[in-house]
Amino acid sequence: MALHVAPTREQTRARYPEASGFVERDGVRVFYEVYGAGEPTFLLLPTWSIIHSRQWKAQIPFLAREHRVVTFDGRGSGRSDRPTAPEAYDELQFALDALAVLDATNTTRAVVVGYSLGAPRGLILAVEHPERVTGAVFIGPAYSGGGEPLPERVMAWEDELDTDEGWAKYNRHYWLRDYRGFLDFFFGKLFREPHSTKQIEDCVGWGLETTPETLIAAHHGAKPEPDEARELAERVRCPVLVLQGADDAIASHTRGRALAEHTGGDLVLLAGAGHAPHARDPVFFNLLLRDFARRLA
Amino acid sequence: MIVSATGREQTRARYADEEGFAERDGVRVFYEVYGDAPTTLLLYPTEPISNSRLWKAQVPYLSRHFRVVTFDPRGNGRSDRPTTGDGYAWWDFVEDGHAVLEATGTREALVGGLCDGGGWALALAATRPAEVLGVAAIAPFVPRLTPSHPNYRLFPGLEPLETDEGWAKCNTHYWRRDWRGFLEFFFAQQIPEPHSTKQIEDCVLYGLEGRAEPSILSAEGAPPAWETEEEARAMCARVRCPVLVIHGDLDNCQTRERARAVAELTGGTLVTLEGSGHLPQARHPVKVNGLLKEFAHEVAPPAPKVRTWTRALSRRRRALYVSSPIGLGHARRDVAIAQELRRLHPDLEIDWLAQHPVTVVLEAEGERIHPASALLANESVHIECESAEHDLHAFQAIRRMDEILVANFMLFLDVVREENYDLWIGDEAWEVDYFLHENPELKSAAYVWLTDFVGWLPMENGGDREQFLTADYNAEMIEHIARFPRIRDRAVFVGNPDDVVPDRFGSELPGIRDWTEQHYDFAGYVTGFEPVADREKLRRELGYGPLEQVCIVTVGGSGVGGHLLRRVIEAFPQAKAHVPELRMVVVAGPRIDPATLPEHNGLDIHPYVHELYRHLAACDLAVVQGGLTTSMELTANRRPFLYFPLRHHFEQNFHVRHRLERYGAGRRMDFETDGPAEIAAAIGEEIGREVDYLPVETDGAARAAKLIAELL
Repeated sequence: MALHVAPTREQTRARYPEASGFVERDGVRVFYEVYGAGEPTFLLLPTWSIIHSRQWKAQIPFLAREHRVVTFDGRGSGRSDRPTAPEAYDELQFALDALAVLDATNTTRAVVVGYSLGAPRGLILAVEHPERVTGAVFIGPAYSGGGEPLPERVMAWEDELDTDEGWAKYNRHYWLRDYRGFLDFFFGKLFREPHSTKQIEDCVGWGLETTPETLIAAHHGAKPEPDEARELAERVRCPVLVLQGADDAIASHTRGRALAEHTGGDLVLLAGAGHAPHARDPVFFNLLLRDFARRLA
Repeated sequence: MIVSATGREQTRARYADEEGFAERDGVRVFYEVYGDAPTTLLLYPTEPISNSRLWKAQVPYLSRHFRVVTFDPRGNGRSDRPTTGDGYAWWDFVEDGHAVLEATGTREALVGGLCDGGGWALALAATRPAEVLGVAAIAPFVPRLTPSHPNYRLFPGLEPLETDEGWAKCNTHYWRRDWRGFLEFFFAQQIPEPHSTKQIEDCVLYGLEGRAEPSILSAEGAPPAWETEEEARAMCARVRCPVLVIHGDLDNCQTRERARAVAELTGGTLVTLEGSGHLPQARHPVKVNGLLKEFAHEVAPPAPKVRTWTRALSRRRRALYVSSPIGLGHARRDVAIAQELRRLHPDLEIDWLAQHPVTVVLEAEGERIHPASALLANESVHIECESAEHDLHAFQAIRRMDEILVANFMLFLDVVREENYDLWIGDEAWEVDYFLHENPELKSAAYVWLTDFVGWLPMENGGDREQFLTADYNAEMIEHIARFPRIRDRAVFVGNPDDVVPDRFGSELPGIRDWTEQHYDFAGYVTGFEPVADREKLRRELGYGPLEQVCIVTVGGSGVGGHLLRRVIEAFPQAKAHVPELRMVVVAGPRIDPATLPEHNGLDIHPYVHELYRHLAACDLAVVQGGLTTSMELTANRRPFLYFPLRHHFEQNFHVRHRLERYGAGRRMDFETDGPAEIAAAIGEEIGREVDYLPVETDGAARAAKLIAELL
């Protein structure tokens, strides 16, 4: 039974962009939006293509009252193209999309905010283009350079399994068989906090806007190996803030702790919080972001 | 004359870790260093009318986060006093700050300053940019930058005037005649906020310490900073570091145009404090401390750190209990209330922000003492410093505790910002109550205030000044409560309406009882123990023989009572003659060394007795000070007792006495007139006597807890 009903149309936004457009790289078009004005600019990075830039809906209206905010849909999600070649989903491609969006929006430099898989692409951007990144914020980072994987998540993704229970749903065959079932399971794990129905429904709805085939292609995109990830982290020179849910069931909290340590950044642990505190505890996170930006100014 | 200079500095909340002199051209400047954090904050003094103590409300707080360096200006404090006007050149003060940086081995620093000091800090940043990370200038004086405040149109007044009225006092001839008169006028102008008596007194004392000569020499012959507005603007424009300007809109010294010009020319931020005069660091210390720390952390971010925020519904139910440390009195009743609270809310965790000697009781009870408690400035030590022979001017002692109170409030604030508490409970936690009403935006939890007396009362020999001061303190409290009723979610009076004194808060102010009945809930008295059912059994347990006549002598938890103990011990041989079965047990308390007390046969001396109330319940007579807790324990246990109110202690002489007289309890003695012979005679008359006191309720803690629990 489907627990969640995907909305047929997007709900009313609190704030609409002043500008939007596409950047195109190697035939792949990526959709961006620009809100507000004021320094520093925030670049809110995409995460795994299972959701798109509406993940930042609780941040944009607040930040855009004092800052310029740029978002874009990651390739494979939202209004961006859905390339079919796995290499189109290399982390480097997401970082280059970010750079192209900065250029297209005439953004000299920005505070970069990355959620989950936004971390590797954000790290690449900050290290390869330090002049464009004045500060970096990572939430529940998918960081392989330190910390431990969650023990329950070591199931084979590629193989046919004899069960669909629990993390066995994180499996390409299951995705193709029951994509909706996977979304319900995954976002239920993502929001561990009680009373998170709306946040889960949002994410399931965004997930239904893409396809399991797209996510399978994206799964094969090249990601930094652990030693590469660590090297990237240690090369970051800008101020860093890591926000980490202590009860994160998607990526172990030890990942976030390691990233803060390796970048020399501040770490804010959220007791009782899961993998997406920016969606579930937006007020706390928004104020934290604003303070971080003010300190940079 | 409004100030009685005592000649000695009041207890500080924090003493320097290092001190010394920096010398330039034979002039020695005295500096102090506090703390050892990586970032240094140099706080300039201002002109020689004042000294480094003007930062007393900042140093204890800021030195927990930064290394703080202060110094006395040439002409005041422990710095030299040059004897010619040349010795007070504007640039000399600037360079003295630099010399202090060098003497303290400081390579770079954030620099703060007030009035002249603000100008000097800016000048240091303009001329030595590599050494100045940022400037925080409060009401900065940059000469000639803008027209002076109209008050100073005659300044420097070097010509004799026909009048001494008002700003005509800003005149060297008047200074020579009546320096104190000038100081009193001047600082009343600089701190125009109501209820600022203590801050004005402090400033007058700083001025008296510097004496008139340095200010006269400076006015008559100090080389100026520069001659033109252009030079002043150019100096400001040379400042490249971040700048914060703080300015009060009621400043009678520096105009808002000048503050604005400094901010504009330096590209700095201007924070206006509405309703504030020229000295906000003294009158609004919590706000200024917050601004200074925030600015310093923006300029020099602290080392990376890990902190935790707990989602609302994941939080455990927690209370922070702030128990007044003056004497031991509050500890037991607060523990009893805490126990009753946990009975009503078994999941409630209670942390205590408390200090010695309260912590002695808390530790014995297994209560959780918040680790930040170790950083509290000690109030008991201050009270002991303020006391003389069986004498404690309680009202002045609390006033002279202002530095400790603001330091401890800042610590409280750090604790409640770092950790989420549902409820703050303050038992006569003056700092919490006062500064929450002064800074109502800081209240972020339910808050309960407990007290056993309401109203500061003047002692008879305090004269008009003390009548004025106590009324002024009462008036401020009444205004606080009327304007911000949302601060105290509960105000609990530990007692009954009849226990409230019949006096007025002041001649123009309400009656204390009426007002208290309107603004408080009454818990009844909280003894903190179960009444003794079988006294004979208790005596056997405590080792008191059936024929012994046991007299307990105790002076509570503070160190003030040594003189009374000695006098009662002196009465022991005579008393023993009156009462041959007499056994006297002297409890020195945690803050008096028993080894310093004389010994006699048949006289026991103990340093501290756990559950002293059981001994008081078992005794045949007690001799005590006039403190409320001990005398009410005796009343509740229906024991005869002699009590000696401390001289000049308004609470013991008015509030406690009123309550004991209502209960018909105890025999009041007078330390002034009652010597060993009178004490011995009174012991003989009172010991073992049957009493007819009014009964004391036993459900006070439960009633108080019920009132508090409704907020959870």
